[in-house]
Amino acid sequence: MNVEEALKEAMASRVAAVQAPPSMGQRVRRRNRRHVIRFRTAGAALLTVAVAGAVPVYLSATSGPAPSRAGVGAPVPGASQPVGEDSALAGNVVPDVVGLTNENVAGVLKAAGFKVGGKKILNDEHPPGTIIAQTPAAGTVAPEGARVEVTIATTAAPKTDQTPEPADVGLPQDLGDLGDGRTFGGIRLDYLPDGLEWGKWSGKDGFGKTSYATTWAEPSKAGTGEYSVEAVVYKGEAARTRRDRVDGTPVKIRGKDGYLGSFTEGGEVAGSSPETTLTLVWFPRADVTIELMFSPVFVQKLGQDAADAEIQKIAEGVTVKD
Amino acid sequence: MTEEDEAAFDEFLAARSTALLRTAVLVCGASPHDAEDLVQSALEKVYRHWPRIRHDNPEAYARRVVVNAAISRARRRRVIQEITFASPPETPVESPDPGLRELLLGELGRLPARMRAVLVLRYWEDMSEAETAASLDCSVGTVKSQAARGLARIRARLATLEGASA
Repeated sequence: MNVEEALKEAMASRVAAVQAPPSMGQRVRRRNRRHVIRFRTAGAALLTVAVAGAVPVYLSATSGPAPSRAGVGAPVPGASQPVGEDSALAGNVVPDVVGLTNENVAGVLKAAGFKVGGKKILNDEHPPGTIIAQTPAAGTVAPEGARVEVTIATTAAPKTDQTPEPADVGLPQDLGDLGDGRTFGGIRLDYLPDGLEWGKWSGKDGFGKTSYATTWAEPSKAGTGEYSVEAVVYKGEAARTRRDRVDGTPVKIRGKDGYLGSFTEGGEVAGSSPETTLTLVWFPRADVTIELMFSPVFVQKLGQDAADAEIQKIAEGVTVKD
Repeated sequence: MTEEDEAAFDEFLAARSTALLRTAVLVCGASPHDAEDLVQSALEKVYRHWPRIRHDNPEAYARRVVVNAAISRARRRRVIQEITFASPPETPVESPDPGLRELLLGELGRLPARMRAVLVLRYWEDMSEAETAASLDCSVGTVKSQAARGLARIRARLATLEGASA
């Protein structure tokens, strides 16, 4: 029996019993609604205020699939869960960002108290980088901290909606031999926890253009692909893109803003667990964003408090070269 | 999203979600439960863009999203370690038997995530080199070399073990 066939047989046996549950569709839709409901409810609340408690208000403006009787705390059609936290009247007016560029949109939205999410579409009528659409619309009220999705014109072929991931194949050596690995991507790490050595790989542009990444691991884990500490340096556009999707607890690194948290694969903040990655992102300069990650195994080994301290200590020891 | 779109999405899920889930399990090496979470969030992306992609090979799109999510998950969490430590039983290698399966899956788990993805798509999903390349957004040459290297590593490891137990 050749290896290909044996492997195929082994893989088939591994997953033979795996079945997608029938409720998959329902759960996928529920996830999606979590994103949508927030805006719908905010719209409903706004209209209610405008009409001062008038009898049924229809939500044609907020593009719900079915008309909705609005009222504070009223159920949203299609929602399978109460929307209590989303139904508060508090919120900010969404600014008009159509016509702005990719570069300055984040600042404007951030100033108004929103996060920004973006997608690119192929569009030759506008210069690349121009914002050509936004949701929710300008002038509507959305809760503070909500995400405003903008559509950015681009001339290049649109990328499919993928999780950014290093463009490496196996363990690439995009940056060549880095020696101790502490100097790369225009930064230098003066401090690393004891007992780690360079993971002998580095990737370029795997986290967007321009970005550099490498890892350090325990010597005994050499060749297994397991890391203890990963560092990513984002420059230029990649630095700004990364900056737009920060979350976590605010910290200061050498006086500059940073955010620390344990993240799930979906990028949501969660408690520390074997399922999450301790991540510290900070902005030493306007055009440089640095991200440090500790593997769950390493965090477990150090203990959460020590890991939080170590990751900030590494960050404090980073110098950015000109 | 029209009602027709919704119905088509349900049909798509009924036909493909199990296969996507299995692929995710193999690529990221996670438990089916964890993989389910990953597939759900990947499918939510598919759902969000459904009206646009449903007529344009949604399966390939969905697989791409799932495989990419599985690769980055495997990388970041290093599920690789869990698999490595679930050490294969030290039984003589005969095929096909559960021992060999464990061994092969163990070896598969030790490969870099992307190399593993190539082997899963090529030998489990039976995709051609070109299809695999399209799914992973890389060249056919990369698929060839990754598949060859991955198989060579597994072969070498098997040979060592066979030699030791003979």
